[in-house]
Amino acid sequence: MPERRGLRVGQWIGLAVTAVLLVGLLILPKFQSQYDLLTYTRFLVLALMAQGWNLIGGYTGYAAFGNVGFFGLGAYTTGLLMLSKLQVPFFPALFCGALLAGLIAALIGLPVLRLKGHYFAIATLGVAEAFRQIADTWDSLTQGSTGIDLPVRTEGEFFYYSALAFVVLGVLVTIALRRSKIGYAWVAIRGDQDAARMLGINTTAMKVLAFAFSAMFAAIAGGLTAYQNIHVTPGDFFKIEYTLQMIIATIIGGTGTILGPVLGAGVYQLLSNYVWTRFLELHPTVLGLIIILFIIFLPRGLMPVLTGSIEVARGRRRFRLQALLANVRAHRVT
Amino acid sequence: MNPTEFGQIAVNAVLLSGILALVALGFSLVWGIMNIVNLSHGAFVVLGAYLTFFLHELVGLDPFVTIPIVMFALFLLGFGVQQVLINQVIRAPLLATFLLTFGLEILIVNLVNYFFKADLRSVTTRYTGTGMSLGPLRIPYIRLAALGISLLLVAVTAAFLKSTRQGRAIRATGMDIDAARLTGVKVAQIYALTFAIGASLAGGAGSLLSMIVPFDPNLGETYTQRAFVICVLGGLGDVGNVILGAILYAFVDVFVGARLPELSQAFTFGVLVLLLVLRPQGIAGKKLYA
Amino acid sequence: MEAPAVAQSAEALLQARSVTKHFGGVAALQGVDLEIRRGEILGVIGPNGAGKTTFVNCISGMDKPTSGTILFKGVDITHMPGYAIGRLGLARTFQVVKPLRQLNVIDNVAVGAMFGAGGSKRNTSQARARAEQVLEQVGLKHRSTHLAADLTLPDLKRLELAKALAMDPELLFLDEVMAGLNPTEVERAMQMLQTINSSGITLFVIEHVMKAIMGISDRIVVLHFGKKIAEGDPSKVIENPQVIEAYLGERFAKRARGERQKR
Repeated sequence: MPERRGLRVGQWIGLAVTAVLLVGLLILPKFQSQYDLLTYTRFLVLALMAQGWNLIGGYTGYAAFGNVGFFGLGAYTTGLLMLSKLQVPFFPALFCGALLAGLIAALIGLPVLRLKGHYFAIATLGVAEAFRQIADTWDSLTQGSTGIDLPVRTEGEFFYYSALAFVVLGVLVTIALRRSKIGYAWVAIRGDQDAARMLGINTTAMKVLAFAFSAMFAAIAGGLTAYQNIHVTPGDFFKIEYTLQMIIATIIGGTGTILGPVLGAGVYQLLSNYVWTRFLELHPTVLGLIIILFIIFLPRGLMPVLTGSIEVARGRRRFRLQALLANVRAHRVT
Repeated sequence: MNPTEFGQIAVNAVLLSGILALVALGFSLVWGIMNIVNLSHGAFVVLGAYLTFFLHELVGLDPFVTIPIVMFALFLLGFGVQQVLINQVIRAPLLATFLLTFGLEILIVNLVNYFFKADLRSVTTRYTGTGMSLGPLRIPYIRLAALGISLLLVAVTAAFLKSTRQGRAIRATGMDIDAARLTGVKVAQIYALTFAIGASLAGGAGSLLSMIVPFDPNLGETYTQRAFVICVLGGLGDVGNVILGAILYAFVDVFVGARLPELSQAFTFGVLVLLLVLRPQGIAGKKLYA
Repeated sequence: MEAPAVAQSAEALLQARSVTKHFGGVAALQGVDLEIRRGEILGVIGPNGAGKTTFVNCISGMDKPTSGTILFKGVDITHMPGYAIGRLGLARTFQVVKPLRQLNVIDNVAVGAMFGAGGSKRNTSQARARAEQVLEQVGLKHRSTHLAADLTLPDLKRLELAKALAMDPELLFLDEVMAGLNPTEVERAMQMLQTINSSGITLFVIEHVMKAIMGISDRIVVLHFGKKIAEGDPSKVIENPQVIEAYLGERFAKRARGERQKR
C-alpha cells in the first residue's frame, strides 16, 4: 500500500470512475420504481456488511463466519429501543445497536480470536447460531420466534439514502483505517502473525478491533434492514445466508481492497437477481457454482482485474490469460 | 429424570455414537491428512441416504445390501470432486477451501432438493421397528445393526490405514508431506484416495441413517457440524480419538437435548468454544496433523 | 578480522537466570544462566536441537519459559507479552524468514519502524522514511517496491534483518542469518553486523558458520542439550574439550588453531 504525494494517473482514472458512479447512485431514485429501489437498497446494505467483513476477513485475514450474529443483534437492539418506553428515534437506536455489537464482539473476540483458521471460523459460526437461539428463547425480551414489529416507515428513498450515506461513510472509514497504523497492523497480522508480534504489534488488540468494527458495520446493516422490513424474527435475521453473502461479495470484489466490497456487493446483487428470475429453484445451485468458479479462478476478486484492465487499456501491460490461470496452477498439488 | 429415562437416553446415545464416529472419521481423515475442513461432508451423507432410499424403492434392494454399492458410488464421486475441484485450491489459503466446500454443499443440497423435493423420506422395511427389550429399555435391531456396521467400517478403515501400503502412505503424507514425497509417495494420488475414502464413509453413514431417521436434503448440515465438534473433542490424531470424541459427543448431545432442547446448539457451541480456547489439542489427542 | 573492543565496565543489558523450558517431557532448556553485555557481539553456537532458538523464543516473548527469570535493562520481561518486549528495545529475526508476503519491501520494514521501540514517535510516513534509511543500510533499497514474496533468499535474509533494525533495538537477536549464504555473502554479512554493532546495537548471534562467529564475536556461548557448556573468549571456547566433543570436532579445532596462528 504505497503512499505517495499526489496520485498516479491510474488512480485518477479510478477516482473519476468512482465519482461518476457515486453521482449516478445519488440521482438514481428519481428513475427507479419503488421495487427496483428496494433492490438497490439491498445492494447497499450488503455492501455495508461486506465492508465490515472486509476489515476482519480481508485485511486481517481472519475469516469470521458469524457476522450475521451482529446483524441480528443490531436489528433487535434498534427495534427494541424504538419500541421501548423511551421510543428512541431511529438513528440513535441504530448507533446504540452498533455500539453494543462492537462491545460484545470485543468481549467474544478476546478468547475466540486466539484460535486459528478453521477453528476460528467455526467458533464464530457457533456464536451466530447461539445468538439466534438466544433470540428465539428469550421470549420476555425478544418475543421469541414470533418476532417484533418496528414502527412503520415506507418511503423507499429514506432507506436508500441512509444506506448510501453509510456505505460512503464506510468507504471513508476504511480508507482512514487502512492508511493508519491500525491498517498496517492488520495487514501485518495477515502476512505473518508471529512476525507481526515480534515487530511490536499487539496482535490481540488489533484483531479485536477489526472484529469489533466488522460487528458494528453488520449491526448498522441489521438495524436498517429491520426498520425497512418492519418484522424481525430470529429465523429471518440470523440466517447464515447473510454471512455467506457478505463473504462472497467481498471475495468477488476483492478482499483487502477499499472498494472491493462495494463492487462485489453490486456484482453479487446483479447475479443474484438474474439467477433468481431465471433459475428460481436452482438459485442456490447456480450461486454455489459461481462461488466455486470465483474461488478457483479469481480468488483475489475483480478489483485486481479492474485495476489491471486500466493498465492494459493504457497500453502499459499486456493482457495475459496465463496470469489468470497461473493462479489456479499455483494452488494445485503435484 | 427416573432411571428408565436415563437408561434409555444412554442407550440411544451409545447406539447413535457409532454413526457419529463413522461420519466423523471420514471428516477427520480429510482434515488431518489434507488440512481441509470439508463443509460438504454432510452433503455426502445426504447423498448416501437418498441413494439407499432409491435403490430400496426402485430396485427393491434391502437397504443393508445397498451399503457397499453406496459406498462405492460415493468413493467415485469423492475421487472426482477432489480431482476436479478440491485439488485446485489445496494450497490456497484456508478461506478458499472453506468457501469452495461450502459452495459445493449448497450446490449438492440444492440439486437434491430440486430433483427429489424436500419431503421427508424414510427407508422402511418389514423389520423396521423391531427390537429387543433389555428390562425396561428398548433396543431397536436396526440401530443395533447400524452400530455394529459403523464399528466394523471404522475398524476396517483403521486396519487399512495401519497395515496396507496405501494406508501407511496416507498417514505418512499427513505427518510430513515432504518426507512422504521423498520416499516416493505420490501425494496427488494420496489426496484423491483420502478424500474418496472420506466421502465413502460419509455415504455409508447416510445409508445407515436413512433406515433410522426420517430425512430430507438438509440432513447433512448438522452432521458436518457434529463431525467438526467431534474432531475438536477428540483431536485429529487417530481413529481411537475419533471414537472417543464420538461417544463423548453423543452423550452430551443426547443429554442436553433431553433437558434443554431449545438451547442445545448454543450449549454445544459454548462448550466447543470453551474447549478450543482452553485445550486446542482436544480432550485426548495430540494434534498430529492439524 | 578483529573483534571490536568492548568496554570493560559493560553493563548487563540482558540477564537470563536459570531459564528452563519444557515441551511435554522434553527439556529444551535446562537452567541456562546467561548475561549479555551492552555493546558486545555475543556469539552462540551448538548442535541442532541444543536450544538456541528456543532460548531466543523465550527471551523475545514468542514463548514463555517454564521457569527462570529474564531481566532486560533491569526490567523483568519473563512474562511480558512479545510485542511489549519488542517495544522495549529487543528485536529478533527468525531462522526461517518470516516476511510479510503480500506487502512490498518498504512496507515490511516500515511496520517495524512503526511498532518498534521508536514507533510511538513516528506516524506512518515517518516510518516509511525510516524504512528507506534502513533499506539503504542493508543494501535493499533497489528492491523497495518489490513484493516480499518475489525476493531471493539472500534478499529475504536482508529483509528479515531490516525489519528488526527498523525497530530501533538496543539488543538484536540474529538466528542463523548467514545460513545458505555463499562465502562472499558471508563476508558482506559479517561487515554489516560489525557496522550495526558499531552504531551501538548489542548483538546476540546464533550461527553455524564458524568463520563468521569467530570473526565477529567478542564472547561465545555454547549450548548443548539445553545447557550452557562453555562461555567466554572465542579462542578459549573452541579449545574446550567438551565443546570440541559436542560440536566442533577435532579437525575444526586444529584448523581454527592454525588460522589464529597465522594472524
